[in-house]
Formats: sequence, C-alpha cells, structure tokens
Amino acid sequence: MKFYFNQYLTPISFLIIPLLIHWNPSWFSLMGYQANWPIFWLLPWALINGPFKSMLLGFLLGFILDTINADLYTQIPGLMICGFWFGKIGSLNQFNNNPIQFGLTAAIGSLICDLIYFCQMLIRLLLGNNPLWFFSHGVQIIFAQVFLTSLLAPFFCKWLYFLFSKKYKLKI
Amino acid sequence: MVFSILLFVRLSKTFIYRDIYYFLSKPFWPGEYQQEILRKSINQELNIKLNQLEKDNLRLRLLLDLQNFSEDNKLNASVISRNIGSWWKEILLNKGSQNGVSNGDAVIGPGGLIGIVDNTSKLTSSVKLLTAPNSKVGVWNQRANLHGLLIGVGTKNPKLFFYSKNVDIKIGDYILSSPASTILPPNIPIGIIQSIDNESKPNTIATVNLIAKPEAIDWVQIFRMRY
Repeated sequence: MKFYFNQYLTPISFLIIPLLIHWNPSWFSLMGYQANWPIFWLLPWALINGPFKSMLLGFLLGFILDTINADLYTQIPGLMICGFWFGKIGSLNQFNNNPIQFGLTAAIGSLICDLIYFCQMLIRLLLGNNPLWFFSHGVQIIFAQVFLTSLLAPFFCKWLYFLFSKKYKLKI
Repeated sequence: MVFSILLFVRLSKTFIYRDIYYFLSKPFWPGEYQQEILRKSINQELNIKLNQLEKDNLRLRLLLDLQNFSEDNKLNASVISRNIGSWWKEILLNKGSQNGVSNGDAVIGPGGLIGIVDNTSKLTSSVKLLTAPNSKVGVWNQRANLHGLLIGVGTKNPKLFFYSKNVDIKIGDYILSSPASTILPPNIPIGIIQSIDNESKPNTIATVNLIAKPEAIDWVQIFRMRY
C-alpha cells in the first residue's frame, strides 16, 4: 500500500487540485477569498524536478484548471512561468526549506498568476468597451489570494515537499 | 359617602371597572396559540390568492402569447460547490443534462434570481452568478416601467445600466426580470436599487443590492427554458 502511495503520489496529488478548488474549504478562506491552490502543489514539485519539467507540469495544470471555468481566460501562462521560476530556484540549490522562503516564494508565484489572469480580464473588458468597474475588486482578490497563499504555503508546501522528496529518496 | 362613590363611578363612565377587568382578564387573553392559528389561516388565504393570481397571470400571458412557465419546468437542486471568493463567481449544482438542465436555464434561490446555467455535465451544472464580471442580464424597474441592463462587477452589488439620462428611478425601487423576457422567466425578483450615480453621463447607473444571497443558499430552483 505504502509502495503504491509513493509511486502514484504525484498523479494522485495532481488530480486532487481541481477537487480542492471545487470544494473550496471555508476554513482555509479569508472573508470568502480562497488561496491559490495550484501554487501549493507546483512549488514543492518544481523545487525537486527542475525548471523544464515544472514548466511542462505548469502547462498541464493550467490545462486541467481551465476546464473548471468555461471562460475565455487561461491560467496556463502564469503557471508555466511559476513552474519555470520555482524549478530554477530549486536547481540553484539556494532553497533551504524554511517556512519564510516557502511563504514568500508562493506569494510571488500567486501574484504572477493572478496578475496575468487579471490582465486578460482587463484586456477583454477594454476590447468590449466595457467600463472597468471590476478593477478595484480584482485588486482586492489579488491581495487576498497573495496574503492567504503566503500564510498557508509554509504548511502545505513543506508537507508536500517532504512527501515528494521522500519519494525520490526511495528512488521509486 | 356611598352616594359620592356611586356618583364618581357614574361620572367616570366605569373606567375603573374597565381597568380592573383589564387586569383580571389578562391571563385569559388570546395567546400565542391563537396567534399561530390566525397566522396559519392568513397564510392559507394568501397562498390561495397567490395561486389564483398566478393562474390568472398565466392565462393572460397565454392570451398575449407571452412566454410562460409551468411547474413542470421547475427543478430543485442543491448547491454542491461555491466558488464566490475568487475570479470566478459561480456555483455548482447537483443536477445536470441527465435531468434536462441546459445552458441558459435560469437559477432562482430564496429571494430571487441568482444566475444563469453556464455549462452542464451529465450530473452537474455550473451557474454563472449575477455578480460575475461578465454577467449581463436585461432587467425591469417595476415602478418606473423601465428596462435596464444588470452588469456584474465582481462585488456583491452589480451595476444597473439605463441607456438614457434623467430616468425616473429611486433608491428602494424593485428590480425584476422583464415581463416580456424570452431569456429569463418573467417577473422574477432580482434586487433593490441601493444607490444612484447621477454624475455618470450620458447614461444613468445604479448600484443594486441583490435579494438572493448565493453565499448562504444551499437549495435552488432551476427554471428549464423551453421554447
């Protein structure tokens, strides 16, 4: 059982992310806003697997997450950039796994993803000659998600990093 | 002495007796139980009147060849996921295409309209809320008999857009779905005008407080739009 868990840890945890977004547990939300769940998974995975594999995983993650919401915007570019950057940090061996590093890196990652998504929304609104009423609420969402992601990242990322690195130490 | 007491009672028109009777009879007044019976009777009376009015409305709409909805087109569903505090303002319902739900169906919660079905799977349907940034719904101001466009801006209070300046709208006006709408069920309550931006030019823009609160709703009704 333990063997199978270690072997399939990556795909299982990967497939759980969309379910978590649907579930949106209220005890992990702040004033109704939720954290950036994909970052919690992508950061520890990328730290171990390097920039190029992580960029590809970022693409796959974005590809899956885009199907949840049938709108014209995509999460793929944000997650690919984050995957590459997280992987680069990991490959430089300058990440010493302390909670503050996890929190700050996840916060910057969340900011990148949210800003790219927000820009897409703004461009669409501007192209459609719609008023930018959404602007202030969008900024509010970005701040809330960045704050919440940085707050929860030390717990989730460290735990997943431990599980992923254990798997690679076992060479499974 | 006795005569003066009798005279006082006579002149006071027995207010003392009435006041004494007030205190003596107080324990025997109609209590909560009687009030409950009365409330039930009033509710039954109002329900009968409402049913009658709905039937009349349906009959008149048929005469005018307007869109109408029967009970067969309504479907109860429960909210299984709520995605309100992020970029997407949507809820997930436990009824899908298997139950006859299709894109564009109106979703109504306690209080009024909450959104439109955006996409469906076999077992679930995703509802785009009226608060979603790209949500646009045609609405009707009942008092002023005016049509406007309700635009979601991400916050709990969408904006109501009228295409002309100096329209006769007031704070507190009810906003409903248009009685002549072909996209939404007619006369469904949506919200109340909270504030009016008189500075906006050349249109009138108002902020609307939605009656139905999706963050607290667990059960909804899907109005299957059949033409």
